[in-house]
Amino acid sequence: MAQALRAEDFFQAQMRQASGQEVTPNILIVDDRKENLLATEKVLRPLYANIFKAASGNEALSLLLRHRFAVVLLDVQMPEMDGFETAMLMQEHESMHGVPIIFVTAISKEEKYASQAAEIGAVDYIFKPINPDILKSKVKVYLDIYMQHEQIMKLNAVLQQSNEELERFAYICSHDMQEPVRMMNSYAGLLEEQSANVLDAESRKYLHQIISNAQRMQKMIQDILTFSRVGREEIKAERVDVNDIAREVLAEFEDVIKKTGAHIHYNDLPVLQTSPTLMRVLLQNLVGNALKFQDGRQPPEITVSAERVENGWRFAVRDNGIGIDPRFHDRIFTIFQRLHRKEDYPGTGIGLSTCRKFIRLCGGDIWFESAPGQGATFFFNLPQGASHDDTL
Amino acid sequence: MTIPFEILLIEDNEGDVEMTRRAFRDIQPACNLSVVNDGAEALDFLNKQKNFDGAPTPSLMLLDLNMPRMGGLEFLENVKTDAALKVVPVVMFTSSQSPGDIRNCYDHHASAYVVKPFSGKEFTKALQDIVHFWTSLGQLPQVV
Repeated sequence: MAQALRAEDFFQAQMRQASGQEVTPNILIVDDRKENLLATEKVLRPLYANIFKAASGNEALSLLLRHRFAVVLLDVQMPEMDGFETAMLMQEHESMHGVPIIFVTAISKEEKYASQAAEIGAVDYIFKPINPDILKSKVKVYLDIYMQHEQIMKLNAVLQQSNEELERFAYICSHDMQEPVRMMNSYAGLLEEQSANVLDAESRKYLHQIISNAQRMQKMIQDILTFSRVGREEIKAERVDVNDIAREVLAEFEDVIKKTGAHIHYNDLPVLQTSPTLMRVLLQNLVGNALKFQDGRQPPEITVSAERVENGWRFAVRDNGIGIDPRFHDRIFTIFQRLHRKEDYPGTGIGLSTCRKFIRLCGGDIWFESAPGQGATFFFNLPQGASHDDTL
Repeated sequence: MTIPFEILLIEDNEGDVEMTRRAFRDIQPACNLSVVNDGAEALDFLNKQKNFDGAPTPSLMLLDLNMPRMGGLEFLENVKTDAALKVVPVVMFTSSQSPGDIRNCYDHHASAYVVKPFSGKEFTKALQDIVHFWTSLGQLPQVV
């Protein structure tokens, strides 16, 4: 709780800092008549902004090279290059992406001009003769939106940086932490092997404690490493036959499957354009959990299936295990959250959070349906772009 | 071959050095194991300079990745651009399983990449297998 509060304070402080460094926004007015430029400038002067004036489309375009604008007021009727043409050329500038253009025109209020303007990307329209109050309040709305957007972008940059630092921290920690744990395990193992007949039963038990704890720590470190790698490493999509992944994952669990007499069904899983690592991480964790969270009274029955949904695929891993109380629906995906004692069901509390982190990075999500004693079904969806040939 | 194989271990972790020495006590064919603690020291050893006057030229090197002063990658950069030394196979022996590290090492012309096993027994077995491969199955270049 204390930590959550501190995180919130940090967030607020960043917010204040981000909004404290405000930059004055730029407005561009384009009109071929000097008196119009001056009149508009006068109306807008009370707004807290830098006002740039251009007497032609060409002049406006050259200003775009040097400045970023929050809003552009563009006269439609100009010699040489009219407002529509200027707007179209402006849109080609990267710095104009998302910048609102307000057309200012005296020509007829006919529909066709309005729709022509909309097609070009104008967001608004003002008719001459200009009503100063309307002009001012319209421009103010766009300036406000711009300032809010800038603030969000700044905050995003701050958050992204602290996220990157955290990821790097986790990675380096896990990497460097592996060494001493491996040493403890190796040397305790060597001692066990070399001195077994010299040690009494109690000492051997202590040695065993060291080894089993070192191994548990090693597992945790490995899981943290996997978790921190997700998002650090580029996600590459390729043609993936999910049936192949399922077969590989099952092979990894061969021993448990034999021991428990588990039945795992899957067929007709799709061939997708996706990250094979994503599919492996998800199936490993979900099938692994389905095998693990069992009461041992009947052999595990697990079904892996997939169905086409509106914008991609929805996978389901269903089991007949001990089930999950739905009130844990969010906690279960939080890192290090465990619902059971490690003596009952061993684990590190990292697997499902890795799954969620990974699938969300790929634009999907993961959730479950369950009740205690009635098994659980974990679902995850994977959006597929319409351009992909999903059924290859 | 009657002369023992010369192997150079480049490793900063005391524990790993000790375990490697221990493993080499039993490894057949018998090898002569030399140990240095980082890349810079390894370069001195290979160039027979500083304290390494008269050091043998290794037929095979075992190289750790993360070391002080000069790490594994920088060492590879040096050794693989040296006309005389670049023929000596370098087997990475490290705890990193990061795909990036693996790729980088091969990019720098490492001959193999082996992750240090977690248990002492497996560790010994891995070293045995490496030596077995390079001395019995693979052919090593003649070095002077």
